[in-house]
Amino acid sequence: MADPSIVFTDVNERQGAFHRRIFLMGGVTAFGLFALTGRLVHLQGVQGEKYKMLAAANQYNYRIEPPPRGEILDRNGKVIAGNRPSFRVMLEANLIKNIDDTLDQIAYVLPQTLSQRRRILRDINQSQRFVPTIVAADLAWEDFAKISLYANDIPGVVADMDEMRTYYYGGAFSHVVGYVNKINAKELAREVEQTGGKPDKLLLHPGFRIGKSGIEKTYDVQLRGQAGGKKIEVDARGKVVAEDDEGSRPAVGGKDIVLTLDADIQSRAVEVFGEDSGSAIMMNCQTGEVLCMTSSPGFDPNLFVSGISGPAYRLLAEYERLPLLDKAVGSTYAPGSTFKMNTAIALLAAGVDPSERVTCTGVYRMGNSSFRCWKPGGHGSVDMRGALKHSCDVYFYTLCNRAGVNGIARTARMLGFEQTFPDLGIEGQKKGLIPDTAYKARAFKKDPTWHPGETVSVSIGQGYVNVSAIQLATYIARIANGKKAVEPYLVRKVGSELEDHMSRFRDLGIPESHIQIARDGMYMVSNDSDGTAFRQSQLDLGPNIKMSGKTGTAQVRSYGSGTRKAAEWKYKDHGLFVCFAPSDAPKYALAVVVEHGVAGGKFAAPKAREIMRLALMKDPDIQKRIIGPVSTAVDTAALKAGAADPEVDTLAPEPLTDNIRSD
Amino acid sequence: MVDSALSRPGQRERYDSKLAQIDWVFVGLLATLTGIGILLLYSVGGMKWEPWAFKQLVTFCACMAFMLLLALVDLRVWLMGAYWFYGASLLLLVAVEAVGDVRMGAQRWLSVGGFGFQPSEFMKLAIVLALARFYHECSAKDANWSWKLLFPAAMIGVPAVLVMHQPDLGTAVLISLTGLAVMILAGLNWKVIAAGAAAAAVAIPLAFEFVLHEYQRQRILTFLNPEEDPSGSGYHILQSKIAMGSGGLLGKGLGLGSQSQLNFLPEKHTDFIMAAVCEELGFAGGFMIFLLYGAIILMALRMASLSHSHFGRLAAAGATATFALYVLINGAMVMGLFPVVGVPMPLVSYGGSAMLMVMTGFGLVLGVKVHRYQELPRQASIFQRFE
Repeated sequence: MADPSIVFTDVNERQGAFHRRIFLMGGVTAFGLFALTGRLVHLQGVQGEKYKMLAAANQYNYRIEPPPRGEILDRNGKVIAGNRPSFRVMLEANLIKNIDDTLDQIAYVLPQTLSQRRRILRDINQSQRFVPTIVAADLAWEDFAKISLYANDIPGVVADMDEMRTYYYGGAFSHVVGYVNKINAKELAREVEQTGGKPDKLLLHPGFRIGKSGIEKTYDVQLRGQAGGKKIEVDARGKVVAEDDEGSRPAVGGKDIVLTLDADIQSRAVEVFGEDSGSAIMMNCQTGEVLCMTSSPGFDPNLFVSGISGPAYRLLAEYERLPLLDKAVGSTYAPGSTFKMNTAIALLAAGVDPSERVTCTGVYRMGNSSFRCWKPGGHGSVDMRGALKHSCDVYFYTLCNRAGVNGIARTARMLGFEQTFPDLGIEGQKKGLIPDTAYKARAFKKDPTWHPGETVSVSIGQGYVNVSAIQLATYIARIANGKKAVEPYLVRKVGSELEDHMSRFRDLGIPESHIQIARDGMYMVSNDSDGTAFRQSQLDLGPNIKMSGKTGTAQVRSYGSGTRKAAEWKYKDHGLFVCFAPSDAPKYALAVVVEHGVAGGKFAAPKAREIMRLALMKDPDIQKRIIGPVSTAVDTAALKAGAADPEVDTLAPEPLTDNIRSD
Repeated sequence: MVDSALSRPGQRERYDSKLAQIDWVFVGLLATLTGIGILLLYSVGGMKWEPWAFKQLVTFCACMAFMLLLALVDLRVWLMGAYWFYGASLLLLVAVEAVGDVRMGAQRWLSVGGFGFQPSEFMKLAIVLALARFYHECSAKDANWSWKLLFPAAMIGVPAVLVMHQPDLGTAVLISLTGLAVMILAGLNWKVIAAGAAAAAVAIPLAFEFVLHEYQRQRILTFLNPEEDPSGSGYHILQSKIAMGSGGLLGKGLGLGSQSQLNFLPEKHTDFIMAAVCEELGFAGGFMIFLLYGAIILMALRMASLSHSHFGRLAAAGATATFALYVLINGAMVMGLFPVVGVPMPLVSYGGSAMLMVMTGFGLVLGVKVHRYQELPRQASIFQRFE
């Protein structure tokens, strides 16, 4: 301190500078805090709404609650397709650090997941945010208990209960009811197209199953129901913290569908077919309700619900009896002799007198060709009813050109051939073929003219004629009905709404007297001791209840008579049988096709009889007639004259009790 | 006891008269602010005293006692200890470089007997004391602009580089800015300040490119555009803004803030606690806290300016500057105005060592006020000896 005075001023100078600057510093700090407050106002006031929405988006999530799929019931309320609880294990990928380690841990408890590792990883990659991936479903209770024990210790592993589609009758309804499975990309694209833009989130839910075939597919939208949303509160890791019941929307279950099918009759049909290949379709010929519609052999649709394994699927796909094909609608056959009622009606429409007799010598010659009757020696002199009874080919050969192929085809179309039935609600229906001159001109450019000899083949249901089993059933139902052009349908009720099909039935447009002659012929087939199906048509249900039928054999390929028995199964003829009962007051019409069943009378008719017996015995009105006092035996002559029991006209479909579960 | 009693030597040495000189309103404000912090720690801890609120309360009580004790310490002790404290802190920083623990990717911690501490925390106060002593012994002319300013520059630069190397960008910036604040308060030439600011404007982009670590660069890039990667690096800033913005005027209520309660808000109990405050207590709570901070800082600066000694003035103002920088940087950070640099909100954020340093600083400030009439000998500085 050399100069005190200088030091003194220096001190004052330092102090003054400090005071000026600390004032400035206070100002800067205050300004800084003011700016921060301004920013707070900006965030909370100006942008507040935006951030409130973002905070809510962080906090809340809607978890889709899949609705229970509607049940499919038979006409008596028996559940054909229902839902049962299924134990499953899921992964919440967003909570898992190392997927491989977690899967190893799961595989330690559930070794079966090892082989599905690749599928699981793919599912995880494709899953949406917050949507868990199913690792294993439909676990046995022991496995579920084990994994539940470990699930709490492995983050992201959830063991819970789900609903799984179950088909209680196994393969009995495999084709008609169909099955459900995971939605595929094509179906998703179609759904998106239909809804016009965004797909329903339900479709992406891992537990969601879509109808893949049959009624499950046709009525998928009705069965599906509406997904509920559960409002959940999640934390930053996506873990559910709380559920908000008020903000949640409950799932609306799908509508139950009541079918016209009768599970007992269906089961009986499947039973009598055994491993035979073919189809049986029974209709109520007054209402059009389909009571039974089988395709044998079937498959277990339950296998498809959780995803069928490759080898199992190949077994089904490669089996020569084609279990995956719906033979009720998807196969066509030459109707053979079952077509003769149609030819007969066509002849009557062309003015042929039913009492006109033709002498069958076993062979019919036309120009240079000769056409053999099935019976080598011939039937002698037959009229129209006799020709039906004996299934005499020569009778139809001789007279067919009076109606002409166009006449036969017109009648055939009136009776239900060469058409599909949209009301049936089954996809994959084949239209079949009823040839006429226009068809020949269209399909055969080299030889467009129709030859009378071709009509000969058509008259006995051979040649180009191709029909499906459902068409045969409709055909016979229309003959049995005689007034209305009934159409088959499978769905009685969707939810609580009755489906009305009957009011849309057109008049058949064929004089009932003509139909009656065809019915007489069929009655004689089954009830005259020399009828072609006499032995196979005995219902043993007393004198009141009789069945009327007609056999048919459809050639699979031409062969010499010597090789018939040696032929392999797949080259054997198809056996057909169509029938209705009771003969005096027709109610049930039935068509049975046994593929490669050699002849209609041999394999098809006995099956038809068993199915028909059960249907008749279950029917309360017919039960009364079976066990009730025998008032006056209805004699054959009266039936032939068409003076049937008055019940024929008053018979209406009896009301079914409403026994659908209401839930 | 009246103030005039302090002017009487002997009387002012008595501890009861010193205690009476402590600014109890100021202490009350500190307690109120910390109390709100503890309330929020209770809330974000899931409305439980564990794991944070209770510990914070205990730490605060201990620190409060320590602060009051420091307020009674003679300023000469501070003056004499200033360089020693600075030297020791510098040595510890070097030690960290050699044997420090690596936690969360940075070498910041030293462990002694099971307690981990960060020497960079000490340095924040040490730099203030050392610079205050330097300027106390320096003339106004030299403080304005002379070659002697190389010493304070080195005193700031060496620890800043060491801390930066740990790496801890936030603390390095804080140490530099604190030192700079003391230099400016001591009377640095405005032209030099302007030139320095211009140089910084050139240097910062260069430093960004060549000096900063990848994660530091990323933080700054993220700050500039947080929406670019909302689930990655921008997550912190975005979630913080959502928390604050969704609070509204009165907030969602204690324990009801979805962002902080459901862990969307990261570091909700430490660096981002202001976001939790503004979410749960709304604008009212946030504004209240800013008012408290403003009052505390302005009162502390007033106390600094009361001192008769240059050392006291600069030390108290420097300690307050550190505190103010904490508040402004953290506030700007949680509101998305500044990159995420890991600076806590003093007194409100959970954390023992930060609280200890802040309260030590305020102990100094209170002590400066208590000893405001004390004249410190302006010892001949090492430079004056050669004149």
